[in-house]
Amino acid sequence: MITKVKQYHELTSIKRERVLPVAGDVLVRRMQKVAPNDVIVVAPLAPEFILIDIAQGLRVSPSKADELLQRQAGEELVKGDIIAGPVGIFKRVVRAPQAGRVKIAGEGKVLFEVDAPAYELQAGMEGTVTNIIPERGAIIETRGALVQGIWGNGKITYGILQPVSSDLLQELVPEQLNIGFRGTIISAGFCRNPNVLETAGNIPIRGMILGSMSSALIPLAKSADFPIMLIDGFGNKPMNRAAESILIANKDKNIALNAQVYDPFQGNYPEVIITQLTKSDPDLPPTTDSLKTGKKVIIVNGLLASRIGKIEEILPQKRILPSGISTRVASVILSGEEVVEIPLTNLEIITE
Amino acid sequence: MDTTNITAKSAIAVDIGTTITRSLLFDVASGKYRLIGMGTAPTTAGAPKFDVTEGIWRSLEELQYFTGRTLLSEKDGVIIPSTQDNQGTDSMVATMSAGNPISVVIVGLLDDVSLKNTRRLAQTTYTNITAEISINDCRTATDRINLLTRERPDLIIITGGTDNGATQSLLSILESVGLSSYILDESQRPHILYAGNEKLQDEVKAGLDKISKLHISPNIQPLLGITNFRPAQKELNEIYKEVRRKQSGGLHEVLSWTEGSFTSTASALGRVIRFLSEKYEPEKGVMGVDIGSDTTILAAAFQGEETLRVYPNSGVGGGAAGVLERSSLEEIKRWLPIKIPDTLIRNYIYNKSAFPDAVPTEEDHLEIELAIAKQALRDAALDLIPSLEKQIDSTGILMPAVEPIIGAGRILTEAPKRYQSLSVLLDGLQPTGVTTLALDQNGLLPGLGAIAEINPLMTVQVIESNTFLNLGTIIAPIGIARPGTPILRIRLYREDGRSITRDIKFGSLTILPVEMGEKVSLHLRPLHRFDIGMGGPGKSGKVNAIGGALGIVVDARGRPLQFFPDEEKNIQRNEVWRKTYRKYS
Repeated sequence: MITKVKQYHELTSIKRERVLPVAGDVLVRRMQKVAPNDVIVVAPLAPEFILIDIAQGLRVSPSKADELLQRQAGEELVKGDIIAGPVGIFKRVVRAPQAGRVKIAGEGKVLFEVDAPAYELQAGMEGTVTNIIPERGAIIETRGALVQGIWGNGKITYGILQPVSSDLLQELVPEQLNIGFRGTIISAGFCRNPNVLETAGNIPIRGMILGSMSSALIPLAKSADFPIMLIDGFGNKPMNRAAESILIANKDKNIALNAQVYDPFQGNYPEVIITQLTKSDPDLPPTTDSLKTGKKVIIVNGLLASRIGKIEEILPQKRILPSGISTRVASVILSGEEVVEIPLTNLEIITE
Repeated sequence: MDTTNITAKSAIAVDIGTTITRSLLFDVASGKYRLIGMGTAPTTAGAPKFDVTEGIWRSLEELQYFTGRTLLSEKDGVIIPSTQDNQGTDSMVATMSAGNPISVVIVGLLDDVSLKNTRRLAQTTYTNITAEISINDCRTATDRINLLTRERPDLIIITGGTDNGATQSLLSILESVGLSSYILDESQRPHILYAGNEKLQDEVKAGLDKISKLHISPNIQPLLGITNFRPAQKELNEIYKEVRRKQSGGLHEVLSWTEGSFTSTASALGRVIRFLSEKYEPEKGVMGVDIGSDTTILAAAFQGEETLRVYPNSGVGGGAAGVLERSSLEEIKRWLPIKIPDTLIRNYIYNKSAFPDAVPTEEDHLEIELAIAKQALRDAALDLIPSLEKQIDSTGILMPAVEPIIGAGRILTEAPKRYQSLSVLLDGLQPTGVTTLALDQNGLLPGLGAIAEINPLMTVQVIESNTFLNLGTIIAPIGIARPGTPILRIRLYREDGRSITRDIKFGSLTILPVEMGEKVSLHLRPLHRFDIGMGGPGKSGKVNAIGGALGIVVDARGRPLQFFPDEEKNIQRNEVWRKTYRKYS
């Protein structure tokens, strides 16, 4: 059976497309080294327009208004510049309501685009630009550690990684958070106390990586000013050992945390990228693989969720689970030599 | 009709679902069209492949393996038409539900008339309505332009105005739509579906044709109070295909294999239900239900008039969190027969959304999933019922007579016990009168809907070949009484002459033990003016019924089902009902 491969890698090749949905100016060039905060592309992501009724403003017919237009499409204006007119005894004119440009003009109307700060899309990771996507962005590649999660609050940051404790199995409580974590990206086991998010915001920390979080905190987490990423899901699950060991090993290092919204169809996963200087050139990691004897796996659902083990055998016959569901299972050896039977659909592969 | 007398044609139906791609082979066996075999594989429409053909190919490989029939050739792909040595297939159809919903902005004249109809039209496929525009929403032209450029929808649906009705108001909105479309990059311009006042069609063409991907269909409301969705629905299905073709690779190949017989899964489901409604009892409708991972679909049809609704982000997998967010934890908990802490329920739902393929290992977890399914279906039914062709009450909350009701989706087909599938359909839909609940165990409905277009006989014969599992005949009287009051006397006659009589009390759930497939005759005499769909309150009648997996279920719990404000009481009552089911399953 083919299943997903969890993207927990101490060292792998990482290739990411950073693009905007609208056309803009790409500011990087091929083979350029970029830092996470470097701007890749700028574009008016949410342009604002004003439809100006010139004919009404000048109190003339639309065709006459077109004759009185002084500007053409594309012309840049400052606030107060005359767009059309003058006309009549009182020399009526229509002026630019704000700085901007004429987008379209005709039939007595002008669609005016207001100057607005362009959206700047940052690289979000250290790496090298290996390809330019004209007017949209770039492809960035790097080598390093990668940990993907399954929930993010849509924010992105870059900073020093600080695990809150020596392991990432315990609950994060407000008392553990102090000014020493200011400006860092913290990592911890799980969180169920809303005060943790509030305290973290007050310090303020730069980002938060958790094994799991109570789903009751989702609204609070979404409104937090800093990125939050969950690796194993919701509840009181400690962080899985594979992700934990990577994050602990990279303590005090600069990491890129992209807590983007999880969209498996588009392949968007929240993730941590920790670029490493290395001469080795590992392959890009697989995204799917077959469940087989000997494969290292993580349990994604049920009472043993987030536990890691190795497939001892894929049983040929279906088993009836305590829920009553009849399904194919694998016997999995967990740490401590405990052997459990887990449905194949509840397993994902961890590459070694 | 015996198919040996006609030129038999085999067909493959492929359904590209959210997680699974399923291939079905139909051909003639023993003189009739039958399902020959099925193959499945993970869907590859999304990341990282973004190419549906790999999933289709793998599912066909499995189909080849199970049927022993060569269907694929390395050189030519799917072998079409079939060869003399019985390789390949004569035709192929495809349906698809995979992919994020299409983002839609709907535009109409008035909130309560045209926007309501536009919403109904948008709901006939996989859409996410991100904004609504009407003349009474107080937006200026500038606001509308900014809204449309900000949303950047895949599709704008414009309706409004009866034919030859007012034009000026709609024209002012059309100007905003045109301008917003014009200033976007050509590649980003939305599809525009115009299904409003036909008098404006020429002006719409002149204004929008060159600056957008314009589609025009007949007015969905040509006269006040008269609606006609079918042509616009068809056009919407074409747009769905175009948007999907842009999003997922390989659809060009699928269109070539299927010679264009490619449609959305929902549309195909609607078509087969419509088809069945023309075959079955004219006085009743037919209903199809698909509770999927991401989406719930309801399709009902009365004598060929179809009502289709697609509810994206409302399912038991990726859509489970959507059910919770749209309804409430309290509403989901009402269906549970056991006490489960709120935090556990909520966390389980969000984890299920993140890992939609995972199966529930514990009994508690399965109960949560069944409760989500019931709530998803209840929400959908309450939305659908008011717009059905036939109504049986002024409030629009009681399900009119439909028979059969056919359920599909893994939560129903893979439920460990048949009573669990039955209870999801019964509690979610709350049918009235006498009906039959059936299960589409092999997920044939969309494929048969697509095939109906090219070979209706195949659809008919496959359906008649005991394709669906009969879960049970349902008798659900309508009326109000004190719990415990006798409301229905049933006399059940078996073919061997034996009979039993039961008095049914209000509030009860009773199962009459009738073997699967056993034919019985039922004499139903409602008391206290209860209505069992025999022509009015208090009217008695006789019906022939066939025993299903749960025999014959008499659901006298009331319509709509009432709940206690006290959670504990609901749990106790649900547990009583569960015990009733378990006794007979």
